[in-house]
Amino acid sequence: MNAFSLAYRNLARQRRRTLLIEAVVAFGFAALALATGFMIQSFDSLRAAMIQQIGHLQVMHPSAATNSEETTLEFGIPHAVRARALAATVPSVVAVLPRIEWVGLVTNGTRSVPYLGLGVDPGPEFAATRQRELVVEGSYLQGDGGDEIVMGTGLARALGVRTGDQLTLLASTVDGSLNAVDVRVRGLLAIPIKELNDRTLVGGITLVSQLLHSEGTVSKLVVFLRSERDLEAASAALAVRLAPIGPVAIVPWRTIAVFYSQVRLLYIAIFGFVNTVLVLMVVLSAAIVMTMAVAERTREVGTLRALGTRPARIRNTFLAEGVLIALAGSIAGLVLALAVRAALNASGIILPPPPGAAVGMPIHVGLYPSAYLFGLAVMVGTMLLASFFPARRAAHLSIVEALTHV
Amino acid sequence: MSAPRQSSPPPVLEAESVSKSYRLGASLVTAIQDVSLSVASGELIALKGPSGSGKTTLLNLMGLLDRPDRGVVRVGGVEAEGLDENARSDLRRDQFGFVFQGFNLIPVLSAAENVSYPMALKGVGRQERRRRAIELLESVGIGHKHAVRPDLLSGGERQRVAIARALANGPRVVFADEATANLDSHTADEVLGLVRRLNESQGVAFLLATHDPRVVARAHRVVHLHDGRILDQAP
Repeated sequence: MNAFSLAYRNLARQRRRTLLIEAVVAFGFAALALATGFMIQSFDSLRAAMIQQIGHLQVMHPSAATNSEETTLEFGIPHAVRARALAATVPSVVAVLPRIEWVGLVTNGTRSVPYLGLGVDPGPEFAATRQRELVVEGSYLQGDGGDEIVMGTGLARALGVRTGDQLTLLASTVDGSLNAVDVRVRGLLAIPIKELNDRTLVGGITLVSQLLHSEGTVSKLVVFLRSERDLEAASAALAVRLAPIGPVAIVPWRTIAVFYSQVRLLYIAIFGFVNTVLVLMVVLSAAIVMTMAVAERTREVGTLRALGTRPARIRNTFLAEGVLIALAGSIAGLVLALAVRAALNASGIILPPPPGAAVGMPIHVGLYPSAYLFGLAVMVGTMLLASFFPARRAAHLSIVEALTHV
Repeated sequence: MSAPRQSSPPPVLEAESVSKSYRLGASLVTAIQDVSLSVASGELIALKGPSGSGKTTLLNLMGLLDRPDRGVVRVGGVEAEGLDENARSDLRRDQFGFVFQGFNLIPVLSAAENVSYPMALKGVGRQERRRRAIELLESVGIGHKHAVRPDLLSGGERQRVAIARALANGPRVVFADEATANLDSHTADEVLGLVRRLNESQGVAFLLATHDPRVVARAHRVVHLHDGRILDQAP
């Protein structure tokens, strides 16, 4: 006749009240598990979007990681073709994308607008990143890009150009002189961040090298790995393989994606607040129920103490009731959460686009066992907390007062 | 009134100069004042006196359900006042049994489980507990009701279960506070007969707080309390 056996019978005796508090726990569990599952799903989606944009690792000049360039490609990586080939020999690396970043002016002959330039190797860039999802007019660069560019719709609007129109790019070369090339607009990108949409312009490395006189030098190499789990090993391997080309910094994506960390913290704060409110609701409801249970069973507690039950055993019996309520409520909550999840996933509700994406996604709450285990742990902890003070009170009741309680 | 079964048996339980007061609103009410009483093995003692005379308080103090303001209670020669709650709980479990006026059975347990409960506290195995519980229930005449919950038993049957529970761990003293007060006269007679029989057959001392003259008539010794003091003790 252990604490759980007695606790179970006491709960069964007060069936209606037990069902009520179990319903509260079930609701709390389901809300917690669904919210946590949605939060994990959001983190995963955001992380995937970020990695598709900036890769798992970036290889750059050590100064580029901490300083801004005064002149074009001041902190570039020379011998980019060799560096790219060396990086590609690391087994967990699936793609190495060279990128050149610079600034300049773009003109249609009558208007000039500043732009942020991005030089890419179009084929691999198109295959590995999300840029293909952003094309809303025309098409992405083909082959080595030739003399074509793609640009943000905001920049195109500022210049009043459409696909097929001619433009001239102006920029400072690596040696500080001014250079210009004529280009044709191949496609327009709807970049979800307005500031970037109004300024971004993308061209092939060959064209950009011609503009900047940067033969063989790139701003960075963007490295994609087989899996994020390979990140540390790949980083170490890249440092060894790239040693012959000179000092380089190998920067993981989390260091670069400050935005991701900020959004993550915001999500955690929001979900943390909601979860805290949920837990408080359950704690208060459960504490009221457990306090009633102790009050109703005061005389019984006095009898058990008179018979020789130690105070700790009395306390444990009430705590066991809390744990049993948490377990039964969580099982009901699991069923509820799975049903709500299925309904939400089948609803086709479209969520606003996440940061870094151009279009919204249908709602999809993932099935994360860790979210359900988290819900269970929180509910057990919550019920233990809610039961603790009534249980302690019961354990320390005066036997004589308890026996005469009416 | 019958004579004690043994002459000068050693005390199994002793109260020495115990006093106890309770706060009732702003005033302090003295329930027991400087009372000494010893209980010998196998004795059947009736505590009698009017309401408020201190019978229940003395029972509570000697049964280690409460602590005296002054004086000491000794169980088998051991002073109980210096013991912590766990040690006092263990003493109650091993040395004492309790029978209450309101029966105080645990409603979620069957008759046999109620009797088993003190044995479970002592760590007796499940099979042994069950065997002994049914044996005890048979000895009080309700072995056939072992699986029945208390709410389905009559008052007399409940008190028999309570008596069986009090005897579960082979106590040296059983405390009974107005154990016959909630029973009809016929059932009360049966219960008292049972108490007397168990007292004689098992050598368990009984300390009975009562108004009931039938209890007094069956006691080896009658302790008369008035205003928290012992007026007289008569064998």
